[in-house]
Amino acid sequence: MATQDFVSRLPNDIGGFEAGSVARVEHVLEPWEKRCHALADVLDFKKIINTEEKRKGVEALGETLIGKLPYYERWIVAFANILFTKELLSPTELAEKMAEVEARFPVESGQGG
Amino acid sequence: MTSVHTDHHDHDHDHAAIEQVDRPGYYEVMETAIRELLIAKGLISAGDIRHQIEVLDSRSPALGAAVVARAWTDPDFKRRLLADGRKGCEELGISFYDDTQLIVLENTSEVHNLIVCTLCSCYPRPVLGLPPDWYKLKPYRARAVSEPRKVLAEFGTHLPDDVEIRVSDSTAAVRYLVLPLRPEGTDDWSPDELAAIVTRDAMIGVIPVTIGGEAA
Repeated sequence: MATQDFVSRLPNDIGGFEAGSVARVEHVLEPWEKRCHALADVLDFKKIINTEEKRKGVEALGETLIGKLPYYERWIVAFANILFTKELLSPTELAEKMAEVEARFPVESGQGG
Repeated sequence: MTSVHTDHHDHDHDHAAIEQVDRPGYYEVMETAIRELLIAKGLISAGDIRHQIEVLDSRSPALGAAVVARAWTDPDFKRRLLADGRKGCEELGISFYDDTQLIVLENTSEVHNLIVCTLCSCYPRPVLGLPPDWYKLKPYRARAVSEPRKVLAEFGTHLPDDVEIRVSDSTAAVRYLVLPLRPEGTDDWSPDELAAIVTRDAMIGVIPVTIGGEAA
């Protein structure tokens, strides 16, 4: 692909690109995925993060991470970054809270995802 | 579907095994942490999240199917629906929980409509629920706008060459719903009988509505 395509298109802008055949995959959302979706909607209703900010937040993850992370994983990481930028959360706060949440689950039951 | 992980493994990341469902993964922990922090700061409430989960659960393609069946059987309604999709749906009691407009695209013997969101995953959620994974993945998003006939063929849909295909690319503010062609031989069907053959995929535009099609 010509470098100019990367200059003129951000990672989400893939309309018209070549790609493989459409595999008709679908899955019922896991509970946390549904909570993540509800969180996205609530953040939009409350005018904290709107749909366009969310999309741009995903785009800001960069093509490599966008390619590696599934859909709701991209969303939650984008939300974290946007909330840091808006100074509604700090990275330290989030790290400490995540450690607290982790600690609610016994370590011996698995290594997590 | 009862299994949590079934057929959506098109991505290349590692998973915790399914038997470890009681220990959340990194991103689930992040979701819980962000939600709890925002609630503690008073920016959102636990009730907001619970309520929105109920709203999401209340939406399915059955709503869109009822809109289509009504449009097929009530020409005045169809006129209003095509003029303003959101108002038409609201007339049937379907609320729009988000700040989006809806444009309903009518299929005819000359024109076949297909909807996509090339940038991400915009979709008429208030009337269809959440989109299937394939709608959000690269092959459909990339190719629907440039080679729609090939994409349709992958869904088993083969249109005559003289049928024009129009692809509508959704945005954060404007969403689309396809009003499929009513199948022949359904003239004496009731709206409920008609709604039962209108599928989600037909309202995305990747397949036609057929008699004997699965329920939405």
